[in-house]
Amino acid sequence: MTTVTDAEHGHKNITRRRFLTAATSAVGAVVAGMVAVPLVDSLEPTAAAEAASSTTVDLTPIEPGMQVTVPWQKKPVIVINRTPEMLASLKETMDKGILKDPLCKVPQQPPYCTNMYRSRVPEWYVGIRICNHLCCIPHYRPKKGSVAPWWLGGFHCPCHGSMYDLSCRVIQGSPAPHNMAVPEYELSTEKMSATITHMYPKAHLC
Amino acid sequence: MSRFLVWVNKRLPLDETVKEHLTEYFAPKNFNILYYAGSLLLLMIVIQLISGFFLMAHYDPTSQGAFASVQGIMYDTKWGWLIRYMHVDGVSLIFILLYAHMFRGLLYGSHRAPRELVWIIGYIIYLLMMAEAFVGYVLPFGNLSYWAGEVITSIIHAVPVIGPPLTTLARGGPGIGTATLQRFLALHVVLFFLIILAAIAMHIVALHRVGSNNPDGVEIKKHKGPDGKPLDGIPFHPYYTVKDLFGVGVWLTIFVSVIFYAPTMHGIFMERTTFLAANPMVSLPDVTPPWYLSPYYAMLRAVPNKYYGIAIMITSVLLPFLLPWLDRNPVRSSRYRPVYKIMLIVAGISFITLAWVGEQPPLPKYFLIERAATALYLGFYILLPIISKIEPTRPVPERVTG
Amino acid sequence: MSMYRYLCFLLVSMLVPGLAFGAADTVHWMTPHYTFNRTTVIAGARYFADHCMACHSVSSLRYEYLTADLGMPKTEVEKDIMLPDGAAFKGTIVSPMPPDMAAKWLGKPPPNLSHMDRYLGSKFIYTYLLSFYWDPARPSGWNNYVFPMVAMPNVLAPWGGTVGPKGHVIYPGKLSPAEYHKNVADVVAFLRYASDPSYFKRMAIGPYVIGILLLFTILAYLLKTAYWMDLKKGGGAGMRVKGGNK
Repeated sequence: MTTVTDAEHGHKNITRRRFLTAATSAVGAVVAGMVAVPLVDSLEPTAAAEAASSTTVDLTPIEPGMQVTVPWQKKPVIVINRTPEMLASLKETMDKGILKDPLCKVPQQPPYCTNMYRSRVPEWYVGIRICNHLCCIPHYRPKKGSVAPWWLGGFHCPCHGSMYDLSCRVIQGSPAPHNMAVPEYELSTEKMSATITHMYPKAHLC
Repeated sequence: MSRFLVWVNKRLPLDETVKEHLTEYFAPKNFNILYYAGSLLLLMIVIQLISGFFLMAHYDPTSQGAFASVQGIMYDTKWGWLIRYMHVDGVSLIFILLYAHMFRGLLYGSHRAPRELVWIIGYIIYLLMMAEAFVGYVLPFGNLSYWAGEVITSIIHAVPVIGPPLTTLARGGPGIGTATLQRFLALHVVLFFLIILAAIAMHIVALHRVGSNNPDGVEIKKHKGPDGKPLDGIPFHPYYTVKDLFGVGVWLTIFVSVIFYAPTMHGIFMERTTFLAANPMVSLPDVTPPWYLSPYYAMLRAVPNKYYGIAIMITSVLLPFLLPWLDRNPVRSSRYRPVYKIMLIVAGISFITLAWVGEQPPLPKYFLIERAATALYLGFYILLPIISKIEPTRPVPERVTG
Repeated sequence: MSMYRYLCFLLVSMLVPGLAFGAADTVHWMTPHYTFNRTTVIAGARYFADHCMACHSVSSLRYEYLTADLGMPKTEVEKDIMLPDGAAFKGTIVSPMPPDMAAKWLGKPPPNLSHMDRYLGSKFIYTYLLSFYWDPARPSGWNNYVFPMVAMPNVLAPWGGTVGPKGHVIYPGKLSPAEYHKNVADVVAFLRYASDPSYFKRMAIGPYVIGILLLFTILAYLLKTAYWMDLKKGGGAGMRVKGGNK
């Protein structure tokens, strides 16, 4: 029998009281949680804010080899219409062994983009055009040999020189640690439109 | 832990306060169901504060955006419907508790000496709650909100000399608009609310100074044991804290049932015209106040004369302040005053009848019942000083009964 | 305006619309018969999209709520409910008719029906939809027993039939009265849902919330009696001792 406090002295059913106090407190805590969770959740972005938070891009005017950068939640998102040569260069870059994270092990992209193309559809790349080093906006350099003699096409950041391939995978020698982030998006080649919906939660921009 | 408490107690009167108001505050042991209302009201004020805070996070106090922002809460905000129903149903349930609480007071003579100030402060809380409900009621800016705002601010207009400038101050411009909503929001969230909290604190301090009354109206401090504690008293903590916890459980079950299964209570807790956006061009076929203000509205309408109608309404709102002095019988509780009990019940039924008739359209078929109920209700106050002096009473026991 | 004039204005304005509702005293109110469940509301949503959405918005609702609350698959919502141009799944349900044009064409803009059921009630809307009659004196050719001088034409006439002022049938409708009444009831059910989409969620989680509160209440009661036992002579919980304690 545990020690009896002054307040409890003289009662016959201390164990029962303690048990009931504990039980009532436990259920009371559950009730309090049941109230608190919806209240806190109500502070999340409302459906109206969510609806305004996705951007749809029309893919029809983007010629092969061209890109379009659109603002989405105040971030630049690049949509590239990649040519077959550009897609071939992705394999070449991987074979050369110059990528820091060629297999996209770090989750900078949604699961459906964890592939060589880092996209849903190989031809269309959709990604957040923010350098993974310190958040500058890299230049688009698709032309072979434009940045360096071995350059196969990709991105080059003017701030501190980080380099990426045409899937925005970071090249060794860059100060940026990881590949550029890819958001969650929907893409339909029949409707020729892409809708960027959310940030991929595990990805970080810089 | 105990060393920490010793440290705190040197700097704050923690132990003394707990002793004075909880563990050594001796309350009569014969509290019945009506005595749950006080602690439940405290719970409801906290619920209103919390739900109101989360509503305010989404509310837009402009004439263009107010109605839409409330609909945004109901449709787009996660759990917004739950928070809004909590807040609106909370108001009606608070008034139910208030009326039960006040009726208990009159039933058992809790308003009599030496507890006059408890009653006065409490009645001030009631008036403040009505004001708080009114300004809150205008905020969703439905058509009923708009016209209620118009009508009440127009009543201020009728006050001589200071009326018209006060109305302009209240509205902040011609008609009810953004300026009105912004200042009503400020009144609702800050001024009226804080004054209510202060008044509640004073109400409890005043009560504890004198000690609680009980259904028999006998003074428990008259019979103390050898240890100086009242024989019929029990320490508030743990007995009434634990009993009130049970009351909270029952009440929350009722509250949640209302929120989930009858959130508008079929038009009584949330009137139909709240769901139409404010329209200054279209007034309503059914201009009725919320049910808890309806009795006074009925009394205003009962008198077919503009000034007398307003006078009767204001009198009926203010008369209860005088009750501690209108009642002149030495016996407190209606348990031993059969005539007073009947008068109270008649007054109570009249009040409820007035609440019902106030919600009906102003058709001649209701005039008789409206006027009769007004007469009966006001008659209670007028006759009380006379009847309380001459009514027969039963012998009052020395100690409390069940 | 002085208080007296204001009260007069109120009283008179209360009566004037009452004249319209006064006619309503002679209306034979009909109650829609439906089971208010997801199937009925989905049927009503389809009917609404087909017949009503050309003019009426329910702009507090979003298309995505039809999926979230009613379980309607997104593909079906996109195909059957959403308007072909410009509508987004997360967007609000807005009619394509421009309000200013509507005011020109019909005399008044068709009201937003988001809260109409909560404002007027299911019985009113149901009876209203079934109370149109042919009236050549009106610009649209239609009048309504429940809402005299209404600007809305009887859009559902091809299905429900055309009735003259004395109740005689001018043109029968494509549907039988039972089918037609069911369709109208479904639309009313949808409008009821649109007024308060939280209904299904409330019904779903209500029992659990009340269950846990009942558990709390029972435990609190046991706790209370455990303490109050020592106030009763001879034990027993919650008994009042009649005649007082000595």
